[in-house]
Amino acid sequence: MTAPAASPPSRATATLVVSVQDLRVHFNVKAGVVHAVDGVSFDVRDGETLGLVGETGCGKTVTARSFLRLVRTPPGIYAGGRIDFWSRDARRTGAGPVDLLSIPDREMLDIRGDRIAMIFQDPGKALNPAMSIGDQVAEVFFQHRSEDLIGDHRQRVPRMVRRASRQVTTGPERIVLRLPPWRSQAASLRRRVDELVAGALAETQIANPRKIMDRYPHELSGGMKQRVMIAQALACNPDLLIADEPTTALDVTIQARILELIADLQQRHGTSVLYISHDLSLVRRMCDRVAVMYAGRIVETGDTDTVFSRPLHPYTRGLMAAVPSASQKRGELVAIEGNVPELVDPPPSCHFHTRCGSAVALCGQVDPELLEFDDSHRVACLAYASAGELGVPDTALPLVERTPR
Amino acid sequence: MVELSAPSRLPLPTHGPLAVRARRFAEVARQVLRNPTTVAGLVIIVALLAMAFLAPLLTTPNAPDPYQMPRDWTMRDVPPGTPGHPLGTTSTGGDVFYGVLWGARTSLQLSVIVVSITVTVGIIVGSLAGFIGGKLDEILMRLVDVFLAIPELIFALAIAAVLGPSFSNIIFALAVVFWVKYARIIRGQIIHIKQNDYVDAARVTGDSRFSIYRKDVLPNSITPVMVQATMDMGGIVLTAATLSFIGLAEAGLAEWGVLVSDGQAGISAGRWWASTFPGLMVFLWALAFNLVGDGLRDVLDPRTEGR
Repeated sequence: MTAPAASPPSRATATLVVSVQDLRVHFNVKAGVVHAVDGVSFDVRDGETLGLVGETGCGKTVTARSFLRLVRTPPGIYAGGRIDFWSRDARRTGAGPVDLLSIPDREMLDIRGDRIAMIFQDPGKALNPAMSIGDQVAEVFFQHRSEDLIGDHRQRVPRMVRRASRQVTTGPERIVLRLPPWRSQAASLRRRVDELVAGALAETQIANPRKIMDRYPHELSGGMKQRVMIAQALACNPDLLIADEPTTALDVTIQARILELIADLQQRHGTSVLYISHDLSLVRRMCDRVAVMYAGRIVETGDTDTVFSRPLHPYTRGLMAAVPSASQKRGELVAIEGNVPELVDPPPSCHFHTRCGSAVALCGQVDPELLEFDDSHRVACLAYASAGELGVPDTALPLVERTPR
Repeated sequence: MVELSAPSRLPLPTHGPLAVRARRFAEVARQVLRNPTTVAGLVIIVALLAMAFLAPLLTTPNAPDPYQMPRDWTMRDVPPGTPGHPLGTTSTGGDVFYGVLWGARTSLQLSVIVVSITVTVGIIVGSLAGFIGGKLDEILMRLVDVFLAIPELIFALAIAAVLGPSFSNIIFALAVVFWVKYARIIRGQIIHIKQNDYVDAARVTGDSRFSIYRKDVLPNSITPVMVQATMDMGGIVLTAATLSFIGLAEAGLAEWGVLVSDGQAGISAGRWWASTFPGLMVFLWALAFNLVGDGLRDVLDPRTEGR
């Protein structure tokens, strides 16, 4: 294993929400160990939107899923690194971060849905078909806001009602709760939940939230389902929202509205967003900063404007040349030749060297580190590395045009 | 925020979980009732259930054990239509009409008991194997394989024969044999359902493992079990009748297999009734539950969608 990638320059940690350091997630397969995420480091700052861009299979989804420890083990292995997370409370009280990879399961359950929420790619598949919309959104409140549901008169609430507010009642208890004298308290609990759910749905500008609550997922359109997902995700006002290609499965006309909605809610709640996408134009529009991933590693990161106006890494340049735009002439679209390499037990090398036009012999032998190019713009390419530090002559380094077209 | 109205005092909720469930049930029911063969099956089932429930009113229950056929040695082998014996009697003077009606009761008890035991055991074993997985899955499924290696009927026959001729032993034998099917079905379903995004979405909301199983995995895995259970309501009666036909139930029990067996010697002599009527009942019972099971599958099973 190679040395960890360069740690980020020291920044005031008070503004950080998440700091990923040298994250490695591997998968055991028959052919060997797939290094799906191979030493990824990046930060998400308070209130910002970070775009994680890359093609299918580059490890961006695995990276996002390891935030909530959703990668199944086995076959997955959290092989190294840490994900430091500062919740709002931790930032206010000045307490240290928690490492999402090592905290006990119990604490993870408290973070999921409450402090970190996630929106999935396909809303059609991410809602339980056997549960009404209202019940599904209510889950979050039962899970994380049960104390609020009981209300002020906490002392006089029967144990069973309190159990109902956490949804841990057994079948017989649920029947008893339909009878007097519990009935009225159980009903008012239900009303409070319904009120919260309706409020959460109303925030997403869904039409007629009270009616939607009684619907089942198959009775809603894709856009509505994604709104429900968003309502569920933002119900507890999380510190971080992970959006895994939230609009890929939607019609183009709906996409824009969902994006606007997320941006609007983000601004109002001050939530940080980690955007996972392969859609460069979307990332350019939505994100403050962007991190480009290739084959399990981050190859370039920086402010969105900087990266888009002056891409440094050959892969980033290739990616941008492959995106059609209205100003382009017919036939100007350039595909990146070749395929993403197999990530089974990769030797130290730049993972892009097999497809890179500027690659030299050294690219196949050394892991390029993510180095600061200029303020907040970092790139992992030997063309920008210092020959002296690597101990090779200047001529051994690849040459990349310094000013891209 | 939506304005909260005063608590409703209406007896029937127009919204909320109960109304939602009622609406969903009505939707499935409407689809099921659109299929004429399913409706036919339901009609037969209702008729058979009516027979079972009305048996004590339509006949004089035999004392002390109403599940034993009353014997009238003076009226042996009388044909159908004889006063007091509308469907005739067997060679030992048992009233076929009584046997057919009380046989419906026996069959209903049998199938409800066996199906509820097997479904419960099957769901527990299948859930452990499918949801927890790993080593436990390996062990449980090899056990299931052992059970599946022996043909159902032969296996049940062997168990019942070892335990001795009694109807409760038949129930036990069938329960031992039939649970594996459910374990397999539910395990396969759970492994399939577990992969769904909504299970991950539930994990993302902070749900515990067991509550994910209860709310997200099981409700979405259960429908094939319901279909299989409906079909087995018929199949179990057929198998039990087979076992009692070859003499594994108490002699003289008001059970269709026993009756068919009692009457079979007389068939060549033209005394068809003692075997035909109970045989017809077994046929109708199995047919009806199969028709309804098929109808349910068409509506509930995603694999047959769009056919």
